[in-house]
Amino acid sequence: MEQKKEKKRIWQAMERFDQLGITIVLAALVIMASFTNPTFYSAGNIINVLRSASFVFIIGIAITFVLITGGLDLSVGRVMAMAGILSAMAAKSGVPVAVSILTGLVFGLAAGLINGLLVVKLHIPALIVTLGMMYICDGLILIVTMGSPVYPLPDSFKKLGQGTVFGIPNIIMISLALALIGAFVLKNTKYGRQVYAIGGNRETARLAGIPVDATQVSVYVLSAASAALAGILMAGRLNSAQPGAGNGYEMTVVAAVIIGGTSMFGGAGSILGTLLGSLLMTVIENVLLLMKISAYWQSLVIGIIIIFAVGLDQYRRTKYGLG
Amino acid sequence: MGWGKCMSENSSVYVLEMRHMTRRFTGVTALQDVCIHLKKDEVLAICGENGAGKSTLMKILSGSDGWGNYEGEILVEGKVCRFHSTRDAEAAGIEMIYQEISLHLELSVGENLFLGHLPVTRLGTVDWKKVHEISREYLEAVGLEVDPRQKVKTLSTSQQQLLAIARALARKPQVLVLDEPTSALTQTEADNLLRLIRNLKEKHVSCLYISHKLDEVFAIADRICVLRDGRHISTYGAGEASPRQLIEDMVGRKMEILYPKQEVEIGGEILRVEDFCVPHPYRRGHNIVDHVDFVLRRGEILGIAGLVGAGRSELLNALSGAETRGVSGRVWLEGKRIDGSSLREIKEAGIGYVTEDRKKNGFIAGASIRENIVVASLDKITDRGLISRRSEKEYAGKYFEGLAIKAPDMETPLFRLSGGNQQKVVLAKWMMTDRKVMFFDEPTRGIDVGAKAEIYRLMSRMAAEGLGIIMVSSEMPELIALCDRILVLARGRFTAEFSGDEASQEKIMAAAT
Repeated sequence: MEQKKEKKRIWQAMERFDQLGITIVLAALVIMASFTNPTFYSAGNIINVLRSASFVFIIGIAITFVLITGGLDLSVGRVMAMAGILSAMAAKSGVPVAVSILTGLVFGLAAGLINGLLVVKLHIPALIVTLGMMYICDGLILIVTMGSPVYPLPDSFKKLGQGTVFGIPNIIMISLALALIGAFVLKNTKYGRQVYAIGGNRETARLAGIPVDATQVSVYVLSAASAALAGILMAGRLNSAQPGAGNGYEMTVVAAVIIGGTSMFGGAGSILGTLLGSLLMTVIENVLLLMKISAYWQSLVIGIIIIFAVGLDQYRRTKYGLG
Repeated sequence: MGWGKCMSENSSVYVLEMRHMTRRFTGVTALQDVCIHLKKDEVLAICGENGAGKSTLMKILSGSDGWGNYEGEILVEGKVCRFHSTRDAEAAGIEMIYQEISLHLELSVGENLFLGHLPVTRLGTVDWKKVHEISREYLEAVGLEVDPRQKVKTLSTSQQQLLAIARALARKPQVLVLDEPTSALTQTEADNLLRLIRNLKEKHVSCLYISHKLDEVFAIADRICVLRDGRHISTYGAGEASPRQLIEDMVGRKMEILYPKQEVEIGGEILRVEDFCVPHPYRRGHNIVDHVDFVLRRGEILGIAGLVGAGRSELLNALSGAETRGVSGRVWLEGKRIDGSSLREIKEAGIGYVTEDRKKNGFIAGASIRENIVVASLDKITDRGLISRRSEKEYAGKYFEGLAIKAPDMETPLFRLSGGNQQKVVLAKWMMTDRKVMFFDEPTRGIDVGAKAEIYRLMSRMAAEGLGIIMVSSEMPELIALCDRILVLARGRFTAEFSGDEASQEKIMAAAT
């Protein structure tokens, strides 16, 4: 009897698990991959997948904050490349590595601050502001680089992107550390509560005395700064800052976050979901590659899997009235 | 009453019957065994206070509260109908006109009239000539002199209300349901509308007219049906009932229980307002609140009466700091100047504000009861930025139980609760803050009778604790019963002041108009 009850409780908890659908799809993909191509389980491939996912995830953590407040940031892909280029150029010209990294990060902070202030003070929709910022950064990249990559980079810079801790790449460690911080902040701090409250109902939050404008600006700063960090790490990893780095990331990241169950309308979302979403996005690509599915078909299959995975969760949420 | 009465009458004379309607929400029965019969070519008025069950009934009839949620059956022209959506109800010939007008402001008058049914030419393009021709016919029928090509946003509120009726008529309904259609209109506009409804009989349209304005009801209804607390109380033919009788039926015996006013000794001054002005949101150079002065004391419930648009909500918005643009005047809270402060500073100083539209800015629908209760006092449950789960649970639990909020647990999201329980959560949120003055704007709007009494009890308790309370309400009985003093606001100025004992609906109305 007791056991039955316990079983039922676990079952219910599972049914209420927000990311059940994508977890199932993710598991199915992993199992399928192991049947078709044993290299999927090689340490090299796993690290490879995790490293790719980490770039998406680092930005995804911050974008989770942005989406929870009901905002959107499409500039991350280009901010990422621009920050990488700035840092690389500084490092290449002999500026100490710490300072050159800071240069890229400061650029990210500034871009985020501008995004945030324009959204909050001039009431321009976030979609427009960040789309504009995306084009501005794209232009800056071309002006600064004339379209060619910045390389080679000093060793210490490379180390940042290529180094490992206990055999695990720095990038994966950094993204996990950021995930823990992000999840903790979101769930356990006053700031996190304010982020949720603003997305849940901006006016209610304002009347409750929450500093709505400052909080909104802060999430844009957070997302652009994270994008800058990802760009710097990627430049280090590739030993060159590519003008095309992170191109299209804005869509990949936003997709990963939404797949992870974060609401496009604000008020709900989690870092765990974003982690699963980022993994799903990367694993699909990897599995298709290993299964030797023609590159021409990949995008199509990815699209179908995403819709299926999210559809499953949406169906379940409607069924259980989870909003 | 009840079963026997419903069955005994011949159904063929009825265009619409609602039999034994019962609707239950978590913890509340909003409708209990209500029967409504609408004869052909008649205007049947349904009266009742807020929370009597009128809107629940209308939601079922319009199909927005679909079949399966309620018990009972709906018959149109003797045939049983099951409405799963508003579309089903429209197909059965039932058209609704709501309090809030639902037109497409960016589209033209003609497009609004025919939305979804635009006549087309043989090529499949819209037949504009025909649209404008037929539009003119229906506009004439409701006495609306506008160009069918005009955009709806250029029309005045009353013109829009008339257009909404024209649109309903264009669909050739059997039954037209009007839910408080005059609430946004001026007296003359309302009179025109009532005349129009009386004439609809000749067009063989039967009307259900929902209102709590008795003068309107007496002016147009063939029969009057009174609901109270979700039950059918009485039905009268025109001329059979006196206004007094109707009010007794609407209010019932519950009068004393409904307003649990505690006797509180009124203390010293807590809020002083001098020469306070708020600019009109639409008319430049005009003040919607125009040089007002008043004083609020500890333990006092101060009522502000007035018509819609008199500036009542705008006054509270400006005093609470929710709206600051162009506001001028001097305000003291416990002797300290607070005018010119930001919303946050005013909140920190101790003013809580339960707003008019709780859905819009009172609570977070997707968040839990716990999260909603603590959202205005996050500082109380955080230590150096970190939230203490234990203290959060303690605080939220205290109010959850203390206010007897009806929900399975504190993790239930607000959109699952009834209006009354949502409002209790909003109150709990402000009770948790260190407030000294509370503003209530229409605190019992859309709440059932039981929850209303609880809201009143909480307000009285706050007054007993020594808070100063300002209450804005359109429901005069609650103002008169709860307030120690009532100020009447008309065109931005106070036109009268009554003590709670000397106030009456007649006196207040006289001062408000």
